[in-house]
Amino acid sequence: MRYGMVIDLKRCFGCYGCQVSCKAEHATPPGVFFARVVKRESGTYPNVRKVFLPMLCMHCETPPCEAVCPTGATFKRPDGIVDIDREICVGCRYCMQACPYEARYFHAKERFYFGAQGPTEYEAVGYAQHPTGVVMKCNFCAHRLERGEKPSCVMTCPTNARTVGDLDDPHSEVNRLIKERGGEPLHPELGTGPSVYYLPA
Amino acid sequence: MRVFTDPFDRLLDDMQETARPQREWVDGRGLLLITGHFLSGVGAGGWAFASALGFFPGEVASVAIVAASALAHLLFLGRPERFWRMIKIRTSWVGRGFMGLTLFMAASVVYLALRVAGLGDTTGAVAVWGLSLAGAAVIMLYKGNVYAVCRAIPFWNSSLLPVLYVAYALRGGTALLLLFLPWTGLGTAHGLVEVLELWIGLSAGVCILFYLTIMASSSVGARRSVEDLLRGRVAAAFYGGVIAVGFVIPVAIGLLNAVTPVSLGALAVVGAASLVGDFYVKYAIAKAGRYLPHVHGAR
Repeated sequence: MRYGMVIDLKRCFGCYGCQVSCKAEHATPPGVFFARVVKRESGTYPNVRKVFLPMLCMHCETPPCEAVCPTGATFKRPDGIVDIDREICVGCRYCMQACPYEARYFHAKERFYFGAQGPTEYEAVGYAQHPTGVVMKCNFCAHRLERGEKPSCVMTCPTNARTVGDLDDPHSEVNRLIKERGGEPLHPELGTGPSVYYLPA
Repeated sequence: MRVFTDPFDRLLDDMQETARPQREWVDGRGLLLITGHFLSGVGAGGWAFASALGFFPGEVASVAIVAASALAHLLFLGRPERFWRMIKIRTSWVGRGFMGLTLFMAASVVYLALRVAGLGDTTGAVAVWGLSLAGAAVIMLYKGNVYAVCRAIPFWNSSLLPVLYVAYALRGGTALLLLFLPWTGLGTAHGLVEVLELWIGLSAGVCILFYLTIMASSSVGARRSVEDLLRGRVAAAFYGGVIAVGFVIPVAIGLLNAVTPVSLGALAVVGAASLVGDFYVKYAIAKAGRYLPHVHGAR
């Protein structure tokens, strides 16, 4: 079993639904985006294109973040999900420098969306899961997968651009899409073996 | 240049960049890490030369400087109370550095104690000195490798970087000893240290030149970093700290000294300027780091 995700760039229209739903699911503090949409322009006038690239932790097969972690706080689960043990992390942020996908965030201190007003009730409850002084990142919504549900970003996507499944199963939907549509991971040249594939726009 | 009062606003601005600058290891508390890297290099290099020359004040200063670097590293951590967990040396250069630093501190303190007790020439003391040198070598080596293995930041991802860091650590060591000249002198090693300082300084300069030349013709992210250094947000630190203070002043006084002997105070200035340059090399390299761009041809 190795969880993977396929993101269809032809379907993504940059609504940021995944980014918002991820924030709601994980109650991440300001400045932390487990799922985010990179929006860029490419080409020159009059042939200009707007590119939307939804990004998250790629849950790599050989994660560079895991290799550089000096404490073993970053680890790979048997189902392929790369996770962080927040009780072991020392907050050296080496993993942030090693991750080519900028998927990691350092939670330096408690911050609230309404600043001096203090935490909302939602934040007070949600932030309890995010200790300060450690690094945090997407865990593929492992708690949802364990319940047989799809990750929050997958559930929310209004165009069904995201598909999650088992990369080890040759008959899974994710493998079918990768084969039929020519799915490619981001930065394959780095040899990290990402578990997130992109279908061309 | 835009000024941000809130780090959150700066992060959002950074995220609009095609190749996002890394900030965790240089801005804010990141400066503690750069300071730690600088001090540990100077201390380890200083120990290598001072203990080889049997120069006791230099040895004590080197150990104190490495201890200060350990403190700076500790204060940088988000969870300093867990520092003892950094022992994964199989794949992590930070883990290796921590072990090297621990080995160095333990061995060098024992060696100094043996020296004070008049047992510095015993076989045991020589063995402990060997261990301290091994620890110092790891300290000099690990920092460049910490950066060099980061494929996410093309400017750092070069096998030349560890060489550059070792060169600067050795140079920092000789610079530290030069600082002692006006007060304690260096005995017969005086001339040797001057020559070493000049030679290593020139070598480090050549090394930087090679490094920037290679990076300038490398990937998009690395080229952006070189632009940052040469005419962007890191240019002041590069030209002022690395080139003017850290290279031109020491080399000019060093060459002048080769023609006509200069005062001990002037040689101490060479040491101080070299140390400032050493700090700025670390600062500039860290500051210029940018992540790989994800969208090709994007603006």
